Amino acid sequence: MASPVSVYNSNNLDSHIPNSPRDSLKMELLADVTLLPGEDRIIDKDIIYICPFNGAVKGKVLITNFRVYFKSSDADVTVTLDVPLGAISRVEKMGGASSRGENSYGLEITCKDMRNLRFALKQEGHSRRDIFELLFRHAFPLSHAQPLFAYSTQEKYPDNGWNVYKPVEEFRRQGLPNNKWRITFINKNYDLCDTYPTVLAVPFKSKEEDLRRVAAFRSRGRIPVLSWIHRENQAVIVRCSQPLVGMSGKRNRDDERYLDLIREANETTKLTIYDARPSVNAVANKATGGGYEGDEYQNAELIFLDIQNIHVMRESLKKLKDIVYPNVEESHWLSSLESTHWLEHVKLVLSGAIQVADKVSSGSSVVVHCSDGWDRTAQLTSLAMLMLDSHFRTLRGFQVLIEKEWISFGHKFASRIGHGDKNHADQDRSPIFVQFIDCVWQMTKQFPTAFEFNEHLLLTILDHLYSCRFGTFLYNCESARDQHEVRLKTVSLWSLVNSKMELYLNPFYTPESGRVLYPVASMRHLELWVTYYIRWNPRIRQQQSPVEQRYKELLALRDEYLKKLEQLQLSGSSTSSHLTNSSAPNPSSSPSQQYTHLQTPL
Amino acid sequence: MEFSEHIKTANVEDVELRQPLHPPSRGTLCITGHHLLFSDREEGSSRQVLLLLRNIDAIEKSVENLLGYTSFFSHAGHSERTSGSSGTITIKCKDLRVLQLDIPGMEQCLNIAHSIETLSCLDNVSEMYPFFYRPTDLNPQSHRGLSAMETYYGQTKELHERWRLSSVNRAYSVCPSYPPAVIVPNSTDDDVLKRVAKFRQGGRFPVLCYYHRKNGMVIMRSSQPLTGANRKRCKEDELLLQAVIDGSDKGYIIDTRSSQQVQQARITGGGFESKSFYDRWKRLHRQMEKGKALQESLIKLVEACSDESHNMDRWLSKLENSKWLSHVQTALSTAGLLAECVERDGHSALVHGSEGTDCSLLISTLAQLIMDPCCRTLEGFLGLLEREWVEAGHPFQQRCAHSAYSHARLQQESPVFLLLLDCVWQLWRQFPLALGFSEALLLRLATEVYASDYGTFLCNSDQERSALGVKENTYCLFRALLRPTERDIYLNPLYEPTELAIWPSVHPQSLQLWKGFFLRWTQQTRHLEEVQEEIRNMVIEWGKLALS
Repeated sequence: MASPVSVYNSNNLDSHIPNSPRDSLKMELLADVTLLPGEDRIIDKDIIYICPFNGAVKGKVLITNFRVYFKSSDADVTVTLDVPLGAISRVEKMGGASSRGENSYGLEITCKDMRNLRFALKQEGHSRRDIFELLFRHAFPLSHAQPLFAYSTQEKYPDNGWNVYKPVEEFRRQGLPNNKWRITFINKNYDLCDTYPTVLAVPFKSKEEDLRRVAAFRSRGRIPVLSWIHRENQAVIVRCSQPLVGMSGKRNRDDERYLDLIREANETTKLTIYDARPSVNAVANKATGGGYEGDEYQNAELIFLDIQNIHVMRESLKKLKDIVYPNVEESHWLSSLESTHWLEHVKLVLSGAIQVADKVSSGSSVVVHCSDGWDRTAQLTSLAMLMLDSHFRTLRGFQVLIEKEWISFGHKFASRIGHGDKNHADQDRSPIFVQFIDCVWQMTKQFPTAFEFNEHLLLTILDHLYSCRFGTFLYNCESARDQHEVRLKTVSLWSLVNSKMELYLNPFYTPESGRVLYPVASMRHLELWVTYYIRWNPRIRQQQSPVEQRYKELLALRDEYLKKLEQLQLSGSSTSSHLTNSSAPNPSSSPSQQYTHLQTPL
Repeated sequence: MEFSEHIKTANVEDVELRQPLHPPSRGTLCITGHHLLFSDREEGSSRQVLLLLRNIDAIEKSVENLLGYTSFFSHAGHSERTSGSSGTITIKCKDLRVLQLDIPGMEQCLNIAHSIETLSCLDNVSEMYPFFYRPTDLNPQSHRGLSAMETYYGQTKELHERWRLSSVNRAYSVCPSYPPAVIVPNSTDDDVLKRVAKFRQGGRFPVLCYYHRKNGMVIMRSSQPLTGANRKRCKEDELLLQAVIDGSDKGYIIDTRSSQQVQQARITGGGFESKSFYDRWKRLHRQMEKGKALQESLIKLVEACSDESHNMDRWLSKLENSKWLSHVQTALSTAGLLAECVERDGHSALVHGSEGTDCSLLISTLAQLIMDPCCRTLEGFLGLLEREWVEAGHPFQQRCAHSAYSHARLQQESPVFLLLLDCVWQLWRQFPLALGFSEALLLRLATEVYASDYGTFLCNSDQERSALGVKENTYCLFRALLRPTERDIYLNPLYEPTELAIWPSVHPQSLQLWKGFFLRWTQQTRHLEEVQEEIRNMVIEWGKLALS
């Protein structure tokens, strides 16, 4: 070899993974793909994958009704791609029959998960026509009157994830109903609000007809309902949409009285209404009939949280993608990252949630809304609940949190993600849920022992946000899910997760019930989630596998420890008390609550 | 002791101390020759703050004479004071802590400030605290122990066939900044070494610092050759390097200066190994910043980190503008290159810049961590630091005289060792299992290198330490860290030794600000330190029971 290899020497991008040559490689190229039950082969083809890291790689592509799979045939380079069709946002033809230059004729696939794929084909004989058309049809089944893969899969799991969340059970866990809050089934046919769930918790004193009158004054009938109640001080988090104030500044006495009932329930002196929007946007919304609560709401204060709308978030993430894929920005990385504003948006969402949580834990009830109450509102309520309630920081509890605050309350997953839909430029698409998961990741980084689940769970959730393999994230709201019989005809993502829980557990989890977590929402303490946003770049990837392996061992060690501990305690041996003291979670010796510096600029 | 002449006021009552992570407290302030001592005056609480004056980088004082105006300006809490004047001293430490003392009495305040200013930067090494520190559970360093380099030679039997331990420098006469014992090729006798030393800046002739067991290749380090403007040669130097690669087809010289810089160096008598006289050696240039540029980078970074304004919009830009992370990147990638030469390409390498006491040590240390599992244990790492920094003559006293807060004019200060610790932390973060020691160790070293109870980082060279009897009269930090009581804190609970090289990713996306150090005095960092501690205890506890 002439000179030292590569990585630290130049921009030379060779980092091929050597592979022992196999004669029959080409034959069995696709033999090791394990298809899912219900997954069918559509087409396979010789193709060239234009890998942004390894250059052009010859191989074979397989398209099924679930995925695009590629495997290289060169003996010395192993490149495998396994992309669910659901992750595809756009398929385009690249070059034409007369394009010059090597590998200039083929397909370009834009993905929803921070990567793009380029394939080259032979120019002769319209070789891409069939693959393009088949890919287009199967990647966007809803645009072709075809079912999503979740309806074709035959997967079976021992655990049924659809049983994870039962609204009444969750309310009961929170101590509801009680003498201040009641459970109502007024929306059982979705006629009060077609984007809300059927089971709602409302002030005990409010009557059904009050609810209907309030619904008339709230955008899309999304009335204020309880999301969470603090066990000790009975302060609540209530969510809703904006009031329909309009240009003329309409008032609605029922709405005003209803909010006052919320305040009265735990004798909060002043009800705090958090409007997630920047105030200018809230004002502008009056022009389209919306608005915000004015001075007529006595005993209430309104605070704007300055979180930008779905369009700003979409553009921000797009900018981030531009600097991390296919090439990572090298020379001015930090200032480029800054100019995407992604971390700043994350900061604002987190600090909004911190304010909500802080207010509630100090005993005051809060109302949270944005415009429709299904994007920023969901982020704020769910993050605040994650800070306040340690149950949501367990593996099961986190599933409940997502099922409750996001899925059942009508975050428009179908519109925001565009499942199976070919309109890649749809203005309704936005990475609001990704941003939420990012915020959760930031919290797990700041509190490494406070969450029962690990980063792998967050990655899995985001993968299946797009994959369309499970019914969990399909459709915009419960009424649509009922209509399409999601629970009957598809599998829940939580079935997969809960059937192999050990993959998603954090070995260092130390349960501490009652502890409120206040993350620090300062730019200095936030990090870009590199292992998600830049995970496709093999050069940025850090040594994950030995760490995961070690964590698995630790998990086993911990379980063994807990088992032995239990035995010792059962046998009443004298050592047991010693062991309990030194290792079991001990709230008094552990770091005290982080009294947050609520210095975030508002 | 002559310290007393610098101390006009030794004790002040009723001083208020404000420090990060603690509520303000009121008590007695006491200045001694080496320490600032604050004792909480509250009954029952025996909280004390003991600060080495050496740790103080800068002080700022503001006094206000309120005499005669007390009746108008008596704020709550101050009313009990007899004198109306008071002052505030802000103390900025080399470990980046910032303390504030409110001292009643203008004169007392000025006296205290004056004592701190004088005593915190005494030049006389033998008056420094390590010469007075007497821990009860440690023995003084033994006078006649083996040096770390000798120990390394003794442990590396494979070396003995082709390499020898030379004591040509036993009186520090050949190279004042080298230790008495160095490792050189068998075939090179001491007379040759003496002549080579004359051809290398500061007499730092090429010596072996690492032997790669897997393929028998070595890393050498030296200073630049003194070729000068008329391209002087030194036959012995050429022969020595020839002997290093022996039969092999070539070796690499990693010069930590750019090719332009080495041309300029010739004008001032320095230079480089030219292709025509060292035909088996291939030069690779990697420009690394050191000296003033590095110090200024640290100052900018610390400034950004301690910016208390709430407007953090430009945080990432400020971080970038400090260039600290790009220095980290250059150091790691140059070390990666060096390790590639040796491990992947299978050739020996020589590292130098100009003096060979800064960047050369930085990258040879990092390359050894990348390649050699033996360096990655707690003991191995401390041994490496002793060989490659303390004995190899990194001028600690000059480099660490001041840190980021100092108002003093910059002289020889440069945070090269801190940069090393940061790079090691990056490795630790990228390979959480591969290093046997913890972040706590790196933090401890980052503090000790600037101000310490121990003698380890005193002086600029072995010669200076020997002249002052540092070994006989002070205690060794590294040995203190290995005491059973301390050792546990510095072990990585997740450690799982690997024989493989650990190649760091050096993309800016893979590098992080070392918050544990630079944001150390924030609640969030403290919290994460405590969590690390918790995790450590957990893993130890599980392990114990599993064994029982």
